[in-house]
Amino acid sequence: MNDVVGAPGGKAFPDDEILLADIGRFLDELDPPPGDLVERVQFALALENLDVEVARWERLDSQAGVRGSGTGTITFTVSDLTVMINLTKIGKLHRIDGWLVPAGQYSVEVRVAEHGTTSTTADEGGRFVLDNVPRGTTQILVHLGDVSCRRTVVTPTVVL
Amino acid sequence: MTDVQTAEVDPPWEGLTGAELHAACMHAARAGDRQAMDRLVAELTPLVWHVARANGLDRTVAEDVVQTVWLALFSQLDKLRDPKALAAWLITTTRREATHPYGRRTQPVPLSDEVAESMPSMNPAPEDEAVRADRDRRVWRAFVRLPDRCQELLRLTVLAGRAEYQLVADALRMPRGSVGPTRGRCLDQMRDLLASEGGSR
Repeated sequence: MNDVVGAPGGKAFPDDEILLADIGRFLDELDPPPGDLVERVQFALALENLDVEVARWERLDSQAGVRGSGTGTITFTVSDLTVMINLTKIGKLHRIDGWLVPAGQYSVEVRVAEHGTTSTTADEGGRFVLDNVPRGTTQILVHLGDVSCRRTVVTPTVVL
Repeated sequence: MTDVQTAEVDPPWEGLTGAELHAACMHAARAGDRQAMDRLVAELTPLVWHVARANGLDRTVAEDVVQTVWLALFSQLDKLRDPKALAAWLITTTRREATHPYGRRTQPVPLSDEVAESMPSMNPAPEDEAVRADRDRRVWRAFVRLPDRCQELLRLTVLAGRAEYQLVADALRMPRGSVGPTRGRCLDQMRDLLASEGGSR
């Protein structure tokens, strides 16, 4: 079985062409972008104002299974804000209990594809609750700051 | 008549490809045309994805970075006047996002082995297939052990060789299908990794 190394004659084997062809195949078969990623990006781009900061989903190993499983705690962070949400599945809907750190009475919105937007305001402890949120492609927006310096932080569009 | 109603009218980029398609879409997107934005995203998300993956991000973090890069592009599209600069902009911005403190590498090494491990089950198969899957697994492992710089260069080389990604070749001043000296060294390194891996014979 010398299909990979040890070809006779000391010639480099597998040669450049074979390796590049392999890599090309891997890009499509082993490591393609997730099938719904384009759709999720397109959903994120349907925001009215695109001048936003996208928070990162902080995944701990123990949460590896949370994505898409419809329940559990998820943490998103951006430079100076952490958004934690706890999902509770109730029938076909979700209840989202959230917590902003640092706390502030910020306006919070949740967008769900094909279901529009629900909004609320966090209390002074940074807590908020969004009830009866349909499941699906979801994004949470937090509007920070005052009139003079308004910023919007969004979570990545995820399927909850 | 709004745009929404005129679905039977082909958008101005219909039938265009490559640089012309991107130029037409960028022009329309600057005027706020969502369809044009969607088209660019559909065309070029694989490019952004592979640059993110090549820069050490696991698949889930790469997903977030892809979204960040696209939002960044469309929120400052006015600054990018030259459509020819699009690929270079996407590549540079993705790299920067990938090395951003928040782009932390959750699981530095094993992430891609995981992909390799899942291969046999993806290809449940007779013996020939199993032999091929085993070979693929070894080649993939060698690939993901390359330095990020090499992984990125090789991924981009492969993409640049495809007609729809001519813009990558242009951005990298890379004649299509060619393998330059740096790429050659990366491939040599990949062969060394393959040879040194146990059970490669």
